[in-house]
Amino acid sequence: MKADTTSALNAEALEELRPEQQLGKTALLLAAVCVAAWFSNMINGAPLLQALPGMILLYVMVMIGLVIGRFAPFYLPSVAWVSLVSIVMTLPFFPGNGWIVGQLAHVNFLAVVTPVLAYAGLALTGREFTMFRQTGWKLVVVSLLVFTGTFVASAFIAHLII
Amino acid sequence: MDMKLLLDWRLHLTVVLASLLAEAIGILRIPLGPGTLLLLPLFYAFLIGVLLNPHLFSGMQRIIPKRVSNAAGPLIMISILPFIAKFGSTIGPAIEQIIAAGPALILQELGNLGTMLLALPFAVLVLRMGREAIGATYSIAREPNIAIISDKYGLRSPEGIGIMGVYVVGTMFGTLYFALMAGYLASLDVLDIRALAMACGVGSGSMVAACSGALAEAAPHLRDELLAFSGASNLLTYATGLYVSLFIALPAAEWLYKRLGGAPLQEVRHES
Repeated sequence: MKADTTSALNAEALEELRPEQQLGKTALLLAAVCVAAWFSNMINGAPLLQALPGMILLYVMVMIGLVIGRFAPFYLPSVAWVSLVSIVMTLPFFPGNGWIVGQLAHVNFLAVVTPVLAYAGLALTGREFTMFRQTGWKLVVVSLLVFTGTFVASAFIAHLII
Repeated sequence: MDMKLLLDWRLHLTVVLASLLAEAIGILRIPLGPGTLLLLPLFYAFLIGVLLNPHLFSGMQRIIPKRVSNAAGPLIMISILPFIAKFGSTIGPAIEQIIAAGPALILQELGNLGTMLLALPFAVLVLRMGREAIGATYSIAREPNIAIISDKYGLRSPEGIGIMGVYVVGTMFGTLYFALMAGYLASLDVLDIRALAMACGVGSGSMVAACSGALAEAAPHLRDELLAFSGASNLLTYATGLYVSLFIALPAAEWLYKRLGGAPLQEVRHES
């Protein structure tokens, strides 16, 4: 039973990992989630109209990153490609970087993440709830230790060097 | 990916309403011992999401049917991408500061090894876990790390169960935990807040977001610098993390596991 739960989880998790493999569908879904982020940005970010160019810019950056990820000769996670695209487009010598950075300033950093967590809460399935009731507690404890260990060790090393 | 379910208007409308409500509540600060806990809108959004989840409360099926919730997994990954783009845009303009901090950023990646020093002995000695412990503690269980385990042991192996467990916990609670931990450590003022920002980068997208967001709230005057540092660190983690975990962390975890007297391969396979 343990193995069954996990293998189903794996198949789904691994499929989720590669949004660049289904560009057409991803383009549509991305539009839907961008609209959610656009609305979420209304309260602590900027009014809808003012934030529109910034949101469209984010959409375009993501799509460019996914297309590169799809056709790149070697594998990097799509988040890495998207991140690179957006870094390059905001570098001081990139044409129009001032305008791009200015428009993106109307999009609040944390407001864009709020809907992500709402999706996450809604997308938990019975399988995941059951898994945690059955064998999960040990893994929950270990996970929290993993997060704490990594974070504190990284921060400590960085602290020594700075 | 079933587009009809993924584009279900009730799902997206619920997310918009939950986000608006969460944003309206805004950031709350709760004093706790010597530090302060920061509660961010993304916590409330997650909580609202879970409370409306049809698998937890069957009454919620009237709002969102179970099959929509089942299909919605890919949306998490996709909705994090615009945020990643926003994140990258804080790195570009700050490129000179980041290059100046280069050595600290690169060495800090080794902090990933701190994971197993704390968690692996605890898992083996206290919780009596088998080889699940290796998968669970050799890395912070993000996508590249899962790829390595799946390649080496297969995901149905004990190691695979271990890493998938941490992966799921990370998706469910990692974001919340990272933000709480970062905000709290920042309020203690023991470690340089820029070092904390770099450490935020070890997480996956939403963890980095919550973590650096919490730091930016704790020190608003350093906001741009902190976001840029954690973004750069995260990018480096993606670039180098795969190799560090494959060539250093995984062999080290195997070695430490043996030293701790963990059960050998066959016995555990039998057990599970």
